[in-house]
Amino acid sequence: MHKFIAMVGTNSTESTNRKLLQYMQSHFADQAEIELMEIKDLPMFNKPEDRQVPELAQQMADKIDAADGVIISTPEYDHSAPAVLMNALEWLSFHIHPFLDKPVMIIGASYGALGTSRAQEHLRQILDSPELRARIMPSSEFLLGHSLQAFDDEGNLTDEQKVAKLDGLFADFQTFVEITKKLKHANVANYQEVRDLDWDKL
Amino acid sequence: MKLVGIAGSVEDHSYNRTLLKFIANHFSDQVDVELLDIQDVPMFNQSDDQTEGEAVQYLKRKIEGADGVIIATPEHNHTITAALKSVIEWLSFKIHPLSGKPVMIVGASYYDQGSSRAQLNLRQILESPGVDAVVMPGNEFLLGDVKQAFDEHNNLKDDRTVSFLSETLGKFLKFVKVINTMNAKPADEGWKSEDLQASGSVPTTIKGLNMHADDWVDQATAKTNAVSGNTYVRLDCGVLTVDQLNYFLNSMPMELTFVDANNQFLYYNHQTDAKNMSASRKPSQVGNPIGDCHPKRAIPHVKQAVHILRTGKTDLFKLPVPSNGEKCDMHYYQAMHDAKGDFQGINEFVLDILPIVKYYLGLTGQKLVKDPNAKTDAVSGASAKEQTDDVSGASTDTETVPTVDDVSGASADTEAAPEEQPKVDDVSGASSNS
Repeated sequence: MHKFIAMVGTNSTESTNRKLLQYMQSHFADQAEIELMEIKDLPMFNKPEDRQVPELAQQMADKIDAADGVIISTPEYDHSAPAVLMNALEWLSFHIHPFLDKPVMIIGASYGALGTSRAQEHLRQILDSPELRARIMPSSEFLLGHSLQAFDDEGNLTDEQKVAKLDGLFADFQTFVEITKKLKHANVANYQEVRDLDWDKL
Repeated sequence: MKLVGIAGSVEDHSYNRTLLKFIANHFSDQVDVELLDIQDVPMFNQSDDQTEGEAVQYLKRKIEGADGVIIATPEHNHTITAALKSVIEWLSFKIHPLSGKPVMIVGASYYDQGSSRAQLNLRQILESPGVDAVVMPGNEFLLGDVKQAFDEHNNLKDDRTVSFLSETLGKFLKFVKVINTMNAKPADEGWKSEDLQASGSVPTTIKGLNMHADDWVDQATAKTNAVSGNTYVRLDCGVLTVDQLNYFLNSMPMELTFVDANNQFLYYNHQTDAKNMSASRKPSQVGNPIGDCHPKRAIPHVKQAVHILRTGKTDLFKLPVPSNGEKCDMHYYQAMHDAKGDFQGINEFVLDILPIVKYYLGLTGQKLVKDPNAKTDAVSGASAKEQTDDVSGASTDTETVPTVDDVSGASADTEAAPEEQPKVDDVSGASSNS
């Protein structure tokens, strides 16, 4: 059974993105082990000259390292991913590289109709950057619009079409994780490159 | 024109901040650029609203007071920094100071990309409805290989880069004018909310007294146990007794009036009787809301004047009060601020500048002659003040020094034809009538 880290892309106390991940955790409990990861306690990234990442970031990195993949659920603020999520990814690419070649599934929930379409696009771009280099599942989008109305009292998604779509995408992600294991020919080179990447030496 | 610059970085050492400082220094003859600090802005969290906190309010106030904004962005992971994004999120959550604001994006990066992706991303973010900024299209200024870009004085080394930056900034200054003209409301109605009856309060307001009372000063003294006489008072750079303060203020070669941020008249330097003053005041008026000190017809103008000082449209404006040529009384209205930059009231000072002019002429052996090309008359200061238009209001502000036109306009009165006789402005007229 695959083990996934489910990153909650917000620091908000009330979040339908957290709800969505909690739903997946229980809904897919027989298919995968999903552990939620909060990002709200990381300090503001300030590129410390001593290159020390906070203890918490290191712990998060270790968990991601040990997982088969990461699911990130992002809200959308100002047509993009929230600062707090960008912040977590800055720490998680600062002389540590837990996302390198890591399979990632992006989902998102929003109060409005668009369901974080632009934030997801933004997040893809970020995860594709040289110091993250995640393996993002391509051509798959799970947009949960009107998210305040999407769950019942037990936290289940009520829209059957949405459930079917999520089931399909999650099954794809399981397969994608396996495929990604085979996409390993550049792993060594990637690791080498990221290790050598040192902006300070440019 | 006044711009504010935001460097999208909270690192101790930031090349983007260096770039903004270079812009501020190098082009200081063309535009006033003030750098804003985002160091103290907390991470955005919608469950922990800190919009009213000092760090966010500081940015709000500075951005609202500026004609435009320059943002210098680094690039982290193909996008802007979380620190900058967090600032933008605060400025698009409960408040929207960037709405309609002209913005120019620049960026510096270690690598040869020069923040290209971060800049595109920033454009997209700034144009989202909650932010609603007006980003200048095109004119991308990308500073790659930034570690080699500056000399030891933090000046850009490459002349072509400077020249491109100059061209870009020149376009932005025009862009700012165009956008602010386009967005200018027919009339900024904000001034109407100025409460000249001082019915609100500020933290220093002495409450529970009748502001209109003739003996307000005595009542206020009793209420606050205000010190007087030879009690020492610690000032910024000195220690004086209250008596010494009075000697000092009363010997100022001008009439001084203190109006607090609540529009209450709290003090004037009592040098002489009302009838001998340029802007007459009586001891019994002290404590009055300033609405009491002006005739009704002048109220809108007083409101406008107070409002542009309160909102930082200008920190000083001046009104010449032309008379018969024997005098040139100038009324100066100077906004007062505390260390944080918050508006604390108005220092009105009135003096006759003609003796100064005459002294200077005598000293240098010159005389005043009429300028055949003069376009402005002596009341131009007053009429400029009344314009509520953002752009011209702002540009007037930069002229803080009385121009020769004002002076010659005034002295020309002795021989001037009636139609050239400058009209007494409502505001200054009001204070001399009160």
